[in-house]
Amino acid sequence: MIELYNVTKRYPGGQLGLSDVSLKIAKGQLVFLTGASGAGKSTFLKLIYCEEVPTEGNILVNGRNVSSLPRNKIPYLRRTIGVVFQNFRLIPRKTVFENVAYLPRILGLDRKNQKKLAYETLRQVGLAHRINAFPVQLSGGEQQRVAIARALINQPEILLADEPTGNLDPELSEEILRLLLDINLRGTTVIFATHDRDLITRVGHRVLTLREGSLADDRELPGSFYSQEADKTGPAPSEEAH
Amino acid sequence: MTLVQALAYFTREALLNLVRGWKVSLLAILTITVSLFLTGVFLLVSNNLGAVIDGWRAESKVVIYLEPGAESQAIADLEETLRQAPGYERVALIDVVTARQRFEQAFPSMADLLEGWGEEPLPRSLELSLTTERLQDPNLGTWLESLRQNPVVMMVDDDRDWLDQLEAVVLVLRGLALMVGGILLATAMFTISSVIRLTAYLYRDEIAVMRLVGATEFFIRGPFYLEGLLQGLVGGSLAIGSLWTIFSVAKSQSTSLLTSILASEFLTWSSSLGLVALGGLAGLVGAVASLSRETLESPKAEEPPADWNEEDS
Ligand SMILES: Nc1ncnc2c1ncn2[C@@H]1O[C@H](COP(=O)(O)OP(=O)(O)O)[C@@H](O)[C@H]1O
Ligand SMILES: [Mg+2]
Repeated sequence: MIELYNVTKRYPGGQLGLSDVSLKIAKGQLVFLTGASGAGKSTFLKLIYCEEVPTEGNILVNGRNVSSLPRNKIPYLRRTIGVVFQNFRLIPRKTVFENVAYLPRILGLDRKNQKKLAYETLRQVGLAHRINAFPVQLSGGEQQRVAIARALINQPEILLADEPTGNLDPELSEEILRLLLDINLRGTTVIFATHDRDLITRVGHRVLTLREGSLADDRELPGSFYSQEADKTGPAPSEEAH
Repeated sequence: MTLVQALAYFTREALLNLVRGWKVSLLAILTITVSLFLTGVFLLVSNNLGAVIDGWRAESKVVIYLEPGAESQAIADLEETLRQAPGYERVALIDVVTARQRFEQAFPSMADLLEGWGEEPLPRSLELSLTTERLQDPNLGTWLESLRQNPVVMMVDDDRDWLDQLEAVVLVLRGLALMVGGILLATAMFTISSVIRLTAYLYRDEIAVMRLVGATEFFIRGPFYLEGLLQGLVGGSLAIGSLWTIFSVAKSQSTSLLTSILASEFLTWSSSLGLVALGGLAGLVGAVASLSRETLESPKAEEPPADWNEEDS
């Protein structure tokens, strides 16, 4: 459960990142976050995983107010939130295994269990066979799947994806989309930020549209593609925001 | 994660950093080595000199030269006075023959200097040994002055003046050790701090990922702190090692008085370990100073802004 109450983010330079946004995202929901470049999508996600603090308003993640979370508590919140980015952010010097296993290592698992966990998570994204490869040896789509595996390794309740298909061609984008839908079907709340409306219209689900930091639109779009999977998520929230 | 696991992790990461960036690490280590080596040299020399001076002070005597015509009774009275004096240990009468023998032994080349004299040229004297405490007693001077008033006394001589001067030299050496050591150690700290900052910069992408997945600051900084500490400890150990090597060589090879004085005893275990610990502390402080919040956060891997047409690869 993610709740925003009148959240405004103004950057030190005066730029408005987000302007008076209030909304709720239920546990297990899949939400698309869209809007033109600079509309505030990344800001929205950063506020949730505490990369930025809101200037005004409150943000609750699983009932916990994270807008005033002390610095030393942030790491523990982040262990329950997976984040993936457009540019993958894999470490080129490290193997796929090492890239995926940062959190297990931080949590003190021994190497054998790190390997086991990494293998299982990589299998979910279809890359178990590349566990010893280096990122450069992988295609863009595969690299993004490794990044998704890294985000999923601790079985987070929430997965935040900031333009995860931004660097990928349409076919690979669809592959990643399919994977994130799949992850959502297993119960993870997914927020998928993208400016690719084409991708969204094929899927449906709830779509939040930001414009210059404000929430311009919040609606259920009927999906033509993957509608079967979409149905499996159960009844969509009935009330429409507009 | 337990503390032991964390330490094992820190050690592995720190060693990896040291090996990967061995050139800059070596630079940091060597600055520590040079500063602690020089500090060690000053300490070693001043300690040995100090010990020698203490030895001399303990052995030093007050020599009371007697008037040539002094009566034996008057001399005996004087001796009695000396025996009653505080801090008295021993008194010996050096007659003219002994005085001459001593002079000839000490300065063989000048022995014929005394030949021209008809009478014995060297006066008789009383050699008075005092306890160390008495020798360091500030009131000793006044007492010696009162001895000079005695009619049988020609002159009173003691070693305090030049021992005091030597001691001042030791103090200056110690001060230099502190000053040079302090300045160089500050330089070394600065170097270590730059090296650690560079390392953190090189690994900024990894640090950003670790933050993202939920690593604590302790976990992120630990390896860097340990890296600084290790650089300092290694630098300190190298300093003590090379100081000891040079000390041993000087001690075994040289027969000159100066080196035998200056290289008679090595630093004590506690001073040696203290210097190594000082190196470690300098490294640690350097590392802590280098990893201010800004250093670790400003170079975070910021993603490029998303554009509709962006081709990023
Ligand atoms: N770190 C920052 N400092 C200053 N302004 C920022 C920063 N990040 C984003 N902004 C500004 O906030 C607004 C929203 O940005 P962002 O959330 O990145 O949009 P989007 O992800 O939708 O492209 C933009 O005007 C952007 O310039
Ligand atoms: Mg963005």
